[in-house]
Amino acid sequence: MHQLHTQTVGLPATITFAILAGLTVIGALFTITRRNPVVAVISLVGTFFALAGVYASLSAHFLAILQILVYAGAIMVLFIFVVMILNRDEITRVAARGMVRRGLGVVAAGYVVWLLASVVANSSATPLLGGPLSEPGADFGTVASVGASLFTDFMFPFEAVSLLLLVAVVGGLVVSRSEKQEDDAEETARRRAQVATEIRPESMVGGPTDATANHEAAHH
Amino acid sequence: MPTLYYLYLSFALFFIGTAGVLLRRNALIVLMAIELQLNAGNLALLAFSRSLGDLKGHVFAFFVIALAAAEAAVGLAILVGMYRTRQTINLDEVATMKR
Repeated sequence: MHQLHTQTVGLPATITFAILAGLTVIGALFTITRRNPVVAVISLVGTFFALAGVYASLSAHFLAILQILVYAGAIMVLFIFVVMILNRDEITRVAARGMVRRGLGVVAAGYVVWLLASVVANSSATPLLGGPLSEPGADFGTVASVGASLFTDFMFPFEAVSLLLLVAVVGGLVVSRSEKQEDDAEETARRRAQVATEIRPESMVGGPTDATANHEAAHH
Repeated sequence: MPTLYYLYLSFALFFIGTAGVLLRRNALIVLMAIELQLNAGNLALLAFSRSLGDLKGHVFAFFVIALAAAEAAVGLAILVGMYRTRQTINLDEVATMKR
């Protein structure tokens, strides 16, 4: 494993990174430019797969698998379902109204990102950013090591995340419920309760059992 | 590969995500662009984690993924609710969350 890693550092690693990074960026651009939401979701899945490859090249094996399972698997399926429910294409890809304001926003965001990039470029000589990556330990980024960290140092945040997911599930149900369906369900329950109180239990004794007996007799 | 290039990729992803949030009016695409931004953050976390040889970045990336799942669930639920009451998911037509 160690031998293999030292061999792949160099040209092959660079080419792999270039391909994965290119796929990631192209997929991301596709995601935000396509008119059809289904195409956008599929290209986002492609982006996440390429990104999982980048994670794996950073020795983050556990996170790479998690990226595919949770993002490309679970979250994107959720997106596909919602796309199917709200099957409406946008009329225009980018609305003309408010274009100047939004264009300025993008320019501002680009400036911030450019500043960040120039800061990083200026300090590229430091070993942290520009130096060759040192060989990680054999268990760096494995399920065992990340899990050990998660269940010792980060026990409380981990449990807090489980609470967060529970809140998200309940919140999703509450937010997306339909008022009409809710009213209908309440109406049905109320009517059932009314019927149950109106019909006396005694009158129910004979009927159903006899009917079942007759039904069974007919079968035999 | 030096950490530098991973950071550049992270910046590019974050910029694309921000541009998507600002330019697109389809709420679904905006949610996807937010996912792109979260992933850009994750990539930077993992790059620095690898560079420093510290696993804490992995743990934080794990939390970000869990957070993204929660965000997607609630965000999409809001979208469905919005579509039920207004028959549109165009963000220009849905300026307030009031009914």
